[in-house]
Amino acid sequence: MNETRNIGDTLLKVDNISLSFGGVKAITGVSLEIREREICAIIGPNGAGKTSMLNVINGFYHPQEGTITFGGEVRKQMRPHLAAQGGIARTFQNVALFTGMSTLDNIMTGRNLKMKKNFLWQAINIGPARKEELEHREFVERIIDFLEIEAIRKTPVGRLPYGLQKRVELGRALAAEPKLLLLDEPMAGMNVEEKEDMCRFILDTNDEFGTTIGLIEHDMGVVMDLSDHVVVLDHGEKIADGVPDVVRADQNVIDAYLGVAHE
Amino acid sequence: MLYREAGQYKTNYADDQAIFPLKQDRWLMAIALVVAFVVIPLTSSEYMLQAVIIPFLIFALAAIGLNLLAGYCGQISLGTGGFMAVGGYAAYKFTTSFPDLNMIVVFLLSGIIAAFVGIMFGVPSLRIKGFYLAVATLAAQFFLQWLFNKVAWFYNYNPSGTITAPPREMFGVMITGPNASAEARYMVTLVIVVVLALVAKNLTRGHIGRSWMAIRDMDIAAEIIGIRPLHAKLSAFAISSFYCGVSGAMFVFLWLGSVETEAFAITVSFQVLFMVIIGGLGSILGSFIGAAFITAVPILLTNAPQFFGFNMPIDLQKHFEVMIFGVLIIFFVIVEPHGFARLWQITKEKLRLWPFPY
Amino acid sequence: MEVLNTIFVLPFLDMADSPIFFAEVVVSGLLTGVLYSLVALGFVLIFKASGVFNFAQGAMVLFAALTLVGLMKAGLPLWAALALGLGGAYSLIKNLQQGSRNGVLLSGAVIALAIVGSFPGLPIWMALIITAGLMVVLAVAIEKLVLRPLVNQPDIILFMATIGITFILEGFGETVWGSDIHRLDVGIPDVPIDVAGMLLSTFDMWAAAIGAAMVAGLALFFRYTVIGRALRAVADDHQAALSVGIPLKTIWIVVWSVAGIVGLVAGIMWGTKSGVQFSLSLIALKALPVLILGGFTSIPGAIVGGLIIGVGEKVAEIYWGPLVGGAIENWFAYMLALVFLLFRPQGLFGEKIIERV
Repeated sequence: MNETRNIGDTLLKVDNISLSFGGVKAITGVSLEIREREICAIIGPNGAGKTSMLNVINGFYHPQEGTITFGGEVRKQMRPHLAAQGGIARTFQNVALFTGMSTLDNIMTGRNLKMKKNFLWQAINIGPARKEELEHREFVERIIDFLEIEAIRKTPVGRLPYGLQKRVELGRALAAEPKLLLLDEPMAGMNVEEKEDMCRFILDTNDEFGTTIGLIEHDMGVVMDLSDHVVVLDHGEKIADGVPDVVRADQNVIDAYLGVAHE
Repeated sequence: MLYREAGQYKTNYADDQAIFPLKQDRWLMAIALVVAFVVIPLTSSEYMLQAVIIPFLIFALAAIGLNLLAGYCGQISLGTGGFMAVGGYAAYKFTTSFPDLNMIVVFLLSGIIAAFVGIMFGVPSLRIKGFYLAVATLAAQFFLQWLFNKVAWFYNYNPSGTITAPPREMFGVMITGPNASAEARYMVTLVIVVVLALVAKNLTRGHIGRSWMAIRDMDIAAEIIGIRPLHAKLSAFAISSFYCGVSGAMFVFLWLGSVETEAFAITVSFQVLFMVIIGGLGSILGSFIGAAFITAVPILLTNAPQFFGFNMPIDLQKHFEVMIFGVLIIFFVIVEPHGFARLWQITKEKLRLWPFPY
Repeated sequence: MEVLNTIFVLPFLDMADSPIFFAEVVVSGLLTGVLYSLVALGFVLIFKASGVFNFAQGAMVLFAALTLVGLMKAGLPLWAALALGLGGAYSLIKNLQQGSRNGVLLSGAVIALAIVGSFPGLPIWMALIITAGLMVVLAVAIEKLVLRPLVNQPDIILFMATIGITFILEGFGETVWGSDIHRLDVGIPDVPIDVAGMLLSTFDMWAAAIGAAMVAGLALFFRYTVIGRALRAVADDHQAALSVGIPLKTIWIVVWSVAGIVGLVAGIMWGTKSGVQFSLSLIALKALPVLILGGFTSIPGAIVGGLIIGVGEKVAEIYWGPLVGGAIENWFAYMLALVFLLFRPQGLFGEKIIERV
């Protein structure tokens, strides 16, 4: 936990969200708040509804009940492009990179919302469109620098090993300069070194750019070290919400998820 | 050894992003352009131009159009013939209604009309994907073909139902109509195709191209990043149809001179689709290669038997042609689904090392 | 106002005016619809089992019909009989060496086909058997040469491959039997008879009956036989089916053969109605709207879809066609499918597509 983090007011609030698919209830009456510049971890056993919650925030799933408050607006359903325009970026559990493109191009697509010059300018590629492209290229190169992936910038992402793909995906999310960065199991399948690198990137992002982070993760060490605020979901319901130390000691959480160390 | 990057450093992003970053590639392109602009018109026969080179260029343009839609944006379309027809008939109506309008302007306007029609038939792509979309585009194909056949206004009430390119000049040279020389028509075609190919390449390298590819690869992730599927897909349909429309206009005015709707039938849609697949989906160069291939094969087949010393009756030739296409398609699709463009890329990569093993 | 009246009011008044004629049109449409359903069925079978959209179905229909007609008239041309015979002999020897019993049987069948087929003027039942046999051989060839190398490729690639097959079949068929229109006579007269005041064609009714019988038979086959169950398993999940020991190869051969035979029946029906010619393969395209309405994987859907399209087309052509110069049939089915797709992207019976991230 980082005491020097300057945590602000509520950035995102979801109230009493319920989501079901046909007869299956994915989320039941969950409310949570994420404040500016904090790192909030959402944890819980598999099938608890964590990814579904992120999907609701992104606007990919539409909840049957509840509201989402972001950027001062209260909505019953979020729409993907509104979420993106509002500054929410996302990585996915199963890496969702654009496999037909290179690393550089993938991260450049993250800049898409900021590219304003219309297609006629792009068609001739002299002047305004070109300038814009080069400016964004510079920004993206800084991200590539930050994530230490210069060597693979022209490689088609389909050919990259899993760990690097996850890093590229982070890069794509960062390229959008998000206010809120939602990461779905960013360290899944990584070894210790890669995890340390990833942690460092996440912390640096939060430190340098003041990005708020929402994080789904199973590695308890990471969760307890990094986060300011932990929310625990189980079977679609919230069973704990608070600072890591408190949550770690909560009996419900221990029963449902953490377990006890046996002597 | 000849084809190396060593020693070619890029010191700024602009250089790195050039279309042909390698010097050798730039030389190749320069040579190709010289050949196209100077050598060919001076040395080719009327027959070569009319039967091979002009149709190659025109179909290459249509292939680029389809490639933008299917290769870069991943939306299958079987309506290419229909959109070409829109271009052809629009050009005819424009130039017969406004005879003083410059032909280039006519072509561009026809393209724009085709773009609008493309947007209309592209709207379903927002809800429908994959094969279902192919069927929607079939609706476009059959409907448009029927429309230009039945509604006499399109062919100016000509009883034969055909449209004929009226003679038009540009800079004092006759470029359409029966008196336009093959060289003149070739040069106009060449200029239009080169310019539009460059534009296409620029579009695919910019953010609109990336948004197309993002939609193609993973439309859900694309949407969550903020790429609007509506804009991306409709722009792909619009621009693709523009290219097909211009191609169709040139088809009538700069190549055949006179067509009926049958010329834009579903077989054309399939032909262009083959060009794109054989040439390589998602590659501008591939569109050219594919077009060259498909234009060349019938010519080869017509002339090959004589070369070998025996004569094949015409309809047997046609049947063989059809069969060989079939075999080629299957062959390519099994051996190299990414088409000639990928083979070319692999060759270039091997050439980088040649003659050294690694 | 006048225009609206003409489009939205008059045709219905026409229908009400002479209801018997309307009924005839509807029934005629239904009968055509059954034939569409048959062709669509071939698609559904293959799509269900191997996930491939077999564009070649139309060409298979054409090829089957051509073969049938050709056999009845002139028998296999000598070179074809020789090729088939030699090929069969080669295959027979190889399979004897490997001890593959199925292979031996198949090769023997091919040789028998070649010998019998080379005699001209075969009676129809013999020609039917031979053609059916040839379609099975074709199915095996397609599976081995085209499908297997393409096992994991994306849909569009498979689609292109089947287009390639279409071209080969068309070209080949026309090379062997020529491209004239052939008359096909299956012994069912095409005389109109009076049913409840409507004039219907006997042939159409026979065609519908046969079509319906085939469809019913296939539906029962899928539900109640071991192979049928295996087919449904394969349609659901290739890997899972493999892992429970279902022989994928055999299943595919069965499916393509059945599709080929369905194609043959459809080819006979269409061929007798309008002559066996090139444009028969365009029927394949017509099946697409049927598949859209009915869903790509549903047998009842193919039936219902075919009927709806058949009736829709006919009615549109007769009652609205004259308003715009006719030939609406060319595009009506596709437009209908398009409009339908806008409201229900998965078709009438298809499974709802749920996307997960």
